[in-house]
Amino acid sequence: MIEAIQKRAFWAWSAFLYVFIVTPLICVILASFNQDSVQTVPPLQWSVRWYEEALRNQNFVRGALTSLLVATIATVVATPIGVLGAFGLWKSKSRYKAALDAFFALPIVVPGLVTGISILIVLTAADVAVGNVKLICGHVLIVLPYVIRTTLASLAQFNPSLWEAAETLGASPPQVLWKIVLPIVRPGIVAGMVFGFILSFDDVNISLFLVDARTITLPISIMSYLQFSFDPSVAAISTILIGVTFVGTLLLERLFGLKRLFEGG
Amino acid sequence: MTAYPAQAMGSERQRTAGRISRAFGASAILTMPACIVIAAGIVLPLAYMLILSVQTPDPGEATLSTDFTATSYLKFFSSPFYWNVLLKTIWVSSVTTAVCAFLGLTLAVSIWLTPPRWRGLCVLAVISPLLVSIVTRAFGWMVVLGDYGLINNVLIHLGIIATPIHMMFTNFAIVIGLVHVFLPLMTLPILTSLDRVDRNIPEAASSLGAGALTIGVKILLPMVSPGLVSGITMVFSLSMSSYILPALMGGADSGMMTTLIYQQFVVTFNWQFGAALVAVLLATSLSAVALLIFETTRRTRKWMVRP
Repeated sequence: MIEAIQKRAFWAWSAFLYVFIVTPLICVILASFNQDSVQTVPPLQWSVRWYEEALRNQNFVRGALTSLLVATIATVVATPIGVLGAFGLWKSKSRYKAALDAFFALPIVVPGLVTGISILIVLTAADVAVGNVKLICGHVLIVLPYVIRTTLASLAQFNPSLWEAAETLGASPPQVLWKIVLPIVRPGIVAGMVFGFILSFDDVNISLFLVDARTITLPISIMSYLQFSFDPSVAAISTILIGVTFVGTLLLERLFGLKRLFEGG
Repeated sequence: MTAYPAQAMGSERQRTAGRISRAFGASAILTMPACIVIAAGIVLPLAYMLILSVQTPDPGEATLSTDFTATSYLKFFSSPFYWNVLLKTIWVSSVTTAVCAFLGLTLAVSIWLTPPRWRGLCVLAVISPLLVSIVTRAFGWMVVLGDYGLINNVLIHLGIIATPIHMMFTNFAIVIGLVHVFLPLMTLPILTSLDRVDRNIPEAASSLGAGALTIGVKILLPMVSPGLVSGITMVFSLSMSSYILPALMGGADSGMMTTLIYQQFVVTFNWQFGAALVAVLLATSLSAVALLIFETTRRTRKWMVRP
């Protein structure tokens, strides 16, 4: 009897936790279809006028284009560097292998705020003042560790006898990497790219210190909009963001499995 | 003058090349670009910033000179105002971590007990806050916690309260926002530890008469402690250095270290003092994490040698 009550209480508690997790996201989506300019959830009257409003907002549109450009270039630059790094770490027999592994995780371990500030200081001292360049420098560091991690995780499952078989048949190590290993770990690489892209597109912590008046990313333009007004156009643009992220997430789950991406830290 | 025959020189060169490649290997060449990027993007800037923190404060100046001074650190440690900011940051991060640990433990156990068919969906739901931009999440909480938000609307509608409870722009809102985003980072490592637990063990305990609570606290908890420690480490250090949520949900002067740091870099341009603040923040969270890991290792060793 007590056992049954305990069990029920436990599942009710778990259900409450899921509600806690998804409520704010669902409220954003609901609020975006509001007719009024005052935030009420659920809306009294429904409309899509705030979507038109958001898409007419030049700051949001320009921000989205900047974010898209920066995230794309950062991903394109970071991916080959990360994949080579992961291959190198995987093949390494050095006794510093564990240290190198930890070194590669530094961009994740060092808080974004600290990374952003220290890059700002160095770029200012070096007189780099082009907004896009500053942002890309910071965002390469967002994408890189995730490409390395997912590639390494895929490599860990690579069957070493395939390598031996290829070498026995006369392939050189670069040929084996390019023709055998690369196609097999490709899902891991793509997962790292997708996740890195999402993080770069959504980033505020690092970008905050690297944007300037002319170059501003979408999350930061939303943030500065939020500081002086609170109408549903923010909900609308956020809902679009959630939609884009959701597609990316589904892709990740298919390619790689979400749990693998996050576990272990 | 002894001239080496050309052939001997060639083989000498080959041998040297062979030695170099054996010492560093092809893997060193492959990891080189990533090492350079991380060294140039993280290590050097961090070192530069630490040196800047012991320079004479000079608004708008970011170049280094050779005379070092502890002015910024003295300014920080001699003022009760800054001490309070640091203590408040530690307090908010500790509360966030404790709440996350409790919620994360129960959530991980609940996912562990969920049939495999539903597991993917549960994990997706748990991770979802991490995949949504921080501004979207903060906005979502404004809609939920605001004076005319979801919770107040429901409570007034049900007749439980007459006037809205003020929840937004308080420490409570900061903790809620932080717990929400860091919960997956606590839950998933614990779940990974749980997955290594043999399911026969809790069953054995149950058939020996242990209740659900006893099984949870006395059997599962010690077994998931590696995951728990890794979760606590991550959540605490990320809470200490989170800026956006306190700034958006705690109001303009939320009095956290990070808001202070932001002001130094973007408003007053006292970068030397700002760099010192960053150093203090990093030192605090690193020592807290080191203490935690040291303490758990000591305890684990005690468990191991127990007869």
